[in-house]
Amino acid sequence: MTDTDVPETEADAATGTYVPADPYPWPYNGELRPDNTALIVIDMQTDFCGEGGYVDAMGYDLSLTRAPIEPIKAVLTAMRAAGYCIIHTREGHRPDLADLPANKRWRSQRIGAGIGDPGPCGRILVRGEPGWEIIDELAPAPGEPVIDKPGKGSFYATDLDLLLRRRGVDNLIVAGITTDVCVHTTMRDANDRGYECLLLEDCCGATDRGNHDAAIKMVKMQGGVFGAVSNAADLVAALPK
Amino acid sequence: MSAPGYPARPGAADMITFPSRPFSLTAPAGNIALVVIDMQRDFVEPGGFGAALGNDVTPLQNIIPAIAGLLAAFRAHGMTIIHTKEAHRPDLSDCPPTKRRRGLAEVGIGDEGPMGRILISGEPGNDIVPALYPADGETVIEKPGKGAFYATELGAVLDAAGITHLVFAGVTTEVCVQTTMREAADRGFETLIAEDATDSYFPAFKQAAIDMMIAQGGIVGCAASTDDIVTALDASGKTPREARPS
Repeated sequence: MTDTDVPETEADAATGTYVPADPYPWPYNGELRPDNTALIVIDMQTDFCGEGGYVDAMGYDLSLTRAPIEPIKAVLTAMRAAGYCIIHTREGHRPDLADLPANKRWRSQRIGAGIGDPGPCGRILVRGEPGWEIIDELAPAPGEPVIDKPGKGSFYATDLDLLLRRRGVDNLIVAGITTDVCVHTTMRDANDRGYECLLLEDCCGATDRGNHDAAIKMVKMQGGVFGAVSNAADLVAALPK
Repeated sequence: MSAPGYPARPGAADMITFPSRPFSLTAPAGNIALVVIDMQRDFVEPGGFGAALGNDVTPLQNIIPAIAGLLAAFRAHGMTIIHTKEAHRPDLSDCPPTKRRRGLAEVGIGDEGPMGRILISGEPGNDIVPALYPADGETVIEKPGKGAFYATELGAVLDAAGITHLVFAGVTTEVCVQTTMREAADRGFETLIAEDATDSYFPAFKQAAIDMMIAQGGIVGCAASTDDIVTALDASGKTPREARPS
């Protein structure tokens, strides 16, 4: 990335459509359209950000993982109205835990939140349980694909890449929780696969503020090593219909 | 697996030796899984989609007893069993247009067929035939492609269970079975096809597929009869020493 690649004036920008972002106007080539751009909303599930869910019951500050709800709502409204592809993900395991690595289960048991064990909203991180559902505020609309993933990343052991390529998606706008875990793993994986990624800072959250901030900063290093960072308002204002 | 939460299966440490071609395979029972590919009503039953396309489903019907025998043996030994189904999301968002365009029939993927929408998850024809229906605790993988690893959880499930050796059965030999075996071989699994528990609408293709998999010293995998596989399992629990190669 050099300065000459960045549209500095409106005249330059007129050749493409860009979202104001850091460290470069996004997407890199100005090709931002409903037919080649998708929003992925990661793991906005009751157990992570719902009242009475697992994170809530563990006594964490729920406001950190609930902060992205309203900004995501605004982005969903704008992108749905303009006909963009919207994809949701849920982290969860099969009821028999056949897709659960032994070390992941062991770690979760050590902190008193064993995956598959009874939690405040059903069995923790098990598909079909109430705590695993996406929160009502951000419920998928009919026709919006939902990806069930057993890992942190949304590509591993899922059909996400197939769905995106099938729709001709080049640009991926990333939102959800948590910034430093599932959001980052997904963004890194998407970046390695050649997707042009934009992280919406206020549409993400972590259980630890420091980790959230560091995760945002990491994206922006080295000229945008994983893509670029923007926010809900700037995206909505720049979004081509 | 000895990690917390994964009680060892009965007989998991028993060594099993399959007298396969071009070489025999030996592994602990706990590291071996049976993978039954796409024994779905639409492919196998006389009133299904495969038959509606003009295919003779008799060869596919004829392997049901052999697969049932494999399932019974693997179940009796508490071993891992995986079933696959070729299936698409109802909105076809996981179906490449190239795939949908292929085929000679007037009805294609997603269209109404004799037993519900063709190749769509949840439709009656998409389900597994009753005689080979998955039991509780057996993993079912829905796959959008020919290979069972592509865009599915299969790799994750096998890793979590510590599986290293895969025994294959199902249909069709040259399409989904062979694609999955090749994917498995590239991922480092030892593979074995049960020759009389797999078949095709085209007999010549079945034989050619098995021949090319075991050629060049087993370039994709090995082959054995269902009887030999079942006998090897039954021998392991009773006389493990005798079951090992000398």
